[in-house]
Amino acid sequence: MIELDGVAKFFGPTVAVENVSLNVAAGDFCVLLGPSGCGKSTVLRMVNAMIAPDRGRIVIGGVDIATLDPIKLRRGVGYCIQSVGLFPHWTVERNIAAVPRLLGWSRPRIAARMAEVVAAMQIDKALLPRYPRELSGGQQQRIGVARALAADPDIILMDEPFAALDPISRAALQDEMRRLHEVSGKTFLFVTHDINEALRLATRIVVMNKGRVAQAGTPADILMRPVDEFVRGFLGRDELPLRLLDLVEIRDRIAPLSHRPSTTAIGGNATLRAALNMMLDHHVSRLAVADETGRIVGEIGLADIVAGGAPQ
Amino acid sequence: MSARGTPFILDRVLLTLACAGVAAVALGGFVNHAANRLADGVALPLWRAPPGDQALIAGALAAMVAASCLSREKPRALAAIGAAFALFFGCLVASAHFADRLAEGAKPAARTSLGAAFWILIALAALCALNAAQRGRLPFALRVAIGAGFAAGFAALAQAGVFAQLALAREFAVHRAEFMVQLWRHMALVGASVAIALAISIPLTVLALHRAHWRGLLFATLGVVQTIPSIALFGVLIAPLAALAGRFPLLGAWGVGGTGAAPAIIALTLYSLGPLVRIFVTGFNEVSADVKDAARGIGFDGRRLFFAVEFPLALPALISGLRVVAIQAIGLATVAALIGAGGLGVFVFQGIGQYALDLVLLGAIPIILMALAADLVFSAGLSAARGKR
Repeated sequence: MIELDGVAKFFGPTVAVENVSLNVAAGDFCVLLGPSGCGKSTVLRMVNAMIAPDRGRIVIGGVDIATLDPIKLRRGVGYCIQSVGLFPHWTVERNIAAVPRLLGWSRPRIAARMAEVVAAMQIDKALLPRYPRELSGGQQQRIGVARALAADPDIILMDEPFAALDPISRAALQDEMRRLHEVSGKTFLFVTHDINEALRLATRIVVMNKGRVAQAGTPADILMRPVDEFVRGFLGRDELPLRLLDLVEIRDRIAPLSHRPSTTAIGGNATLRAALNMMLDHHVSRLAVADETGRIVGEIGLADIVAGGAPQ
Repeated sequence: MSARGTPFILDRVLLTLACAGVAAVALGGFVNHAANRLADGVALPLWRAPPGDQALIAGALAAMVAASCLSREKPRALAAIGAAFALFFGCLVASAHFADRLAEGAKPAARTSLGAAFWILIALAALCALNAAQRGRLPFALRVAIGAGFAAGFAALAQAGVFAQLALAREFAVHRAEFMVQLWRHMALVGASVAIALAISIPLTVLALHRAHWRGLLFATLGVVQTIPSIALFGVLIAPLAALAGRFPLLGAWGVGGTGAAPAIIALTLYSLGPLVRIFVTGFNEVSADVKDAARGIGFDGRRLFFAVEFPLALPALISGLRVVAIQAIGLATVAALIGAGGLGVFVFQGIGQYALDLVLLGAIPIILMALAADLVFSAGLSAARGKR
């Protein structure tokens, strides 16, 4: 879907991005991860032609974007930034409809699509006639994401969209993004410096350092086989085993119910880390495991978490 | 301490205004009576005025004190505005009656002009009304209606000839035809110079926004113009314009010359340019970079970015820029009378020349009112442009 081939960008004497090649398949949730100044935002902004690469080429859906009209390209790609950048003089509704209006959609088509987006992003309809100033940071970014989705683009670019939010809003929006990705099958390119956010969202992680790709792969790949000291350090050397627990769901380690089942239950789709957390919280070493309907289907013990080792 | 029976003062400003009013009445002359236009007058205090009028003014001041004790903001604001009305029209009527009474048995040349206490009371009435409008958060339409009420009452009294014996009214009666001419001329000078400055400031703003290295030079040049005293700038323009008109007779036929409207408009335009360009540039620079980035990122082209985002967001700043220069030009245009450009300054400088204070006021008061009106109009535009955001 998105291919970068030997892309480089220099700002005067400083190298922002050097020889970056990567291939984001359709339906991927690709997270560009790295410390600030590593060039990840520059890569993102080159994909929608906000910045032109000095070397190499970027291909979207088989077309070199250098041959496209950048304005048309941007209207076809969702774009969402950390500071949100809602138009303060427009209502929430008009903000969300910005791109469909630019594209000249008909009124009924815009109205129909608005209803879909508002439902998908779980936006309170009472907010629609309000102005951005009247909204909380979390609500604003929800609107920002809705604006990026409004024209139903196949590709969505997000530049640290949740970095400035409080932990609760951030977690809620991250859940929203996971769901949206699963349901829509759209391709996401997402920039963050937050390893937890990357692990929570990504199907593919690209770790960047000093303008280069340090390592690319699935979250499990990167956690289990960090290629160098930088990646290991960035992932948090001491916490690596703990982070691995994020990648495994409880149902993969489920054991049959014992004779004295635990009274504390957890959902089978939660991660091993969540199970460990709950055990520590309740001072127990075994948890009952429930399925989606709340029926107890088995249990998980501390030994099941510890013994399993790395995911496959 | 028990609250029962002790009136609480809830609006100290109102109480202070009332006290200042009492002090002004006690210490200052309400009108000045002189044997003729040039003679020094005698200051006559309010308590020599007709008793009914005295009672009206005293009642208005008492109403201000009473209003200051009202506990709820809105009724207090309305009561204060009522008191301001009473004080304003009480002063007008009192001074007119006072002048009528003094005119009886005096020579026709005798003059009754308005004294310090009168002006202080009028100012207090205005402050009282403004304070009430602000603290009571009165809606804009109501504020306009209140202002219109003051203006209409004054116009009705003037039309009825109530003020006939006041010196200011007699100066007006003598200069009536010329007053209208100069009033329009004053507005024309201001309107033309602000319009030209606006037209020139647009390309200069674009230059300053897009060529950073030109900005410093531009601001410095316009800043230097601001430092030239107005009378000097008018003077400096006389020679080159006179030479131009002499060299090209056509220009002279159009009315361009060393004196008259041309140098006045050029000078007023130059004064307006500096603040206008500076405020415009600030206005556009203050449009959030994030908003512009988001707009470009989702596919706004340059034209749409400007008309749909940058311009509406900078509009409040543009309007405040125009407000500043319009009010400044209204004041500066006064001086233009000295180089024969006309305008209300004509009366001010004639009055100074003849030592006729009332003639000075005949020019100065409309200039002040014009500035206030301009302020009101631009404020309305500003609140409309800000909208709900």
